[in-house]
Amino acid sequence: MEDFQTYIESGRLTQYALGELDPAGQAEVEAWARRSPEVRQELDELLAGAGVYAEVHAITPPAGLRERVLGRVLAEIGRPVDAAENLVAEATTMRVSASNAYPPQPAAAAEPAPRRNELAIAASVALLLSLLANALFYTRWQQANTALVAAQNSQARFAQTSQVMERRLTSTQEQLHVLRSPNEFKMVALAGTPAHPQAHARVLFNKASHRVYVDVQQLPALPAGKQYQLWALDNGKPVDAGVLAINTATGDSLQLMKDIASAQAFAMTVEPTGGSAGPTLTTMTVIGNI
Amino acid sequence: MSDLPLISTPTAAEAALVQRLRARDQSAMTEFYDRYSAALYGVIHRIVKADDEAEDVLQEALVKIWHAMESYDTTKGRLFTWVVNISRNLAIDKIRSRQHRVGSKTQGLDDSLAAQRQAAPETFRPEHVGLQEITKQLVPEQRQVIDLLYFGGFTQSEAAEELNLPLGTVKTRARTALKILAKLIR
Repeated sequence: MEDFQTYIESGRLTQYALGELDPAGQAEVEAWARRSPEVRQELDELLAGAGVYAEVHAITPPAGLRERVLGRVLAEIGRPVDAAENLVAEATTMRVSASNAYPPQPAAAAEPAPRRNELAIAASVALLLSLLANALFYTRWQQANTALVAAQNSQARFAQTSQVMERRLTSTQEQLHVLRSPNEFKMVALAGTPAHPQAHARVLFNKASHRVYVDVQQLPALPAGKQYQLWALDNGKPVDAGVLAINTATGDSLQLMKDIASAQAFAMTVEPTGGSAGPTLTTMTVIGNI
Repeated sequence: MSDLPLISTPTAAEAALVQRLRARDQSAMTEFYDRYSAALYGVIHRIVKADDEAEDVLQEALVKIWHAMESYDTTKGRLFTWVVNISRNLAIDKIRSRQHRVGSKTQGLDDSLAAQRQAAPETFRPEHVGLQEITKQLVPEQRQVIDLLYFGGFTQSEAAEELNLPLGTVKTRARTALKILAKLIR
């Protein structure tokens, strides 16, 4: 008895009545109420007091609120059930309520629910269509993407090719200019030495500008690690005029060599790749005097 | 509304309504609305103090009550107590999230207290027969405590701090006030 009285006066029951306790606290109070009629009675009294206090503040909601709130609530609570079942259930309850004594309610209550269902069906259809459209657009997008990548690749290839062509065209024009200027450039024929009688090349030499071009007709193939090197012979002294690029040596194009101030003859030898400081005379392939 | 207070609704009538709500009878929801909405709306409005928010919370509360009906235990208390608590908690959540949004919680509590101090007697609407009589039964100190606890979402300790009173005094006032109110319907 003593315990119950202490518990009653502890304030826990008031907290319960005023909704202050968490579920554990509520369970504790309910357990006490089950064990003790005194606690039960006090609790009922406090709950009744709280209820009175709540009801004292009752306000009739503003006009129109009943229709709005009740309509939305009925629409909401009709939702989670399976769609077909839902329609049937709603139709039934509406009919029941219509025959019941709630004059203003059927119109207010029944109206929003079917509209909700129509909306739901419309929304589902719209969603389905949207999904299909999405799938279609996705596929098309993928295809377009693939096509775009391919187009970009070939565009890059064309750009590269055209750059190469541009460079070739420029050098060809240069060479053409050289060949068309017999007054500026002196053509020096280089004949094969006895060891290489078929070898044949020529040098285009401009005494004024000191520019030297090499034009190969035919030269023996080179062993690996070797390169042809051009020498200018000035008063019998060999001067390095540069090494021949591979496509020059095969006769594909003219090549601009190092500037030479003065020369009476030109010769070519075979040297290690990169050239040598002085000619290896035993490998001389062609030679010619100006 | 001038007839039997909701808290004293005959248990048989209450049980029948609960039964129908549990059976997912939507017309029972309409009946429930017509019986309880004024009381629930009053409590909610007193807490959130704004028409549109009160409407939102009432709707939320009704939906929650419908879905939670399975878990309502008739042996634990009256239907009215249970549904008022659901509504109260939703309304208090609403003002707390609002205060949280505004920033300072203390500021929010001060505001709500000031509003309540100011508004306490005037906002009682004389729609309910005997309302004036009922509220006259409480001395202002008791009503202040109950207001804080019931409509302000304060705990007893928070109310003691807020009112600068010993916790024991708050407890006594709350309990006495509730008992006085309970006697009015006996």
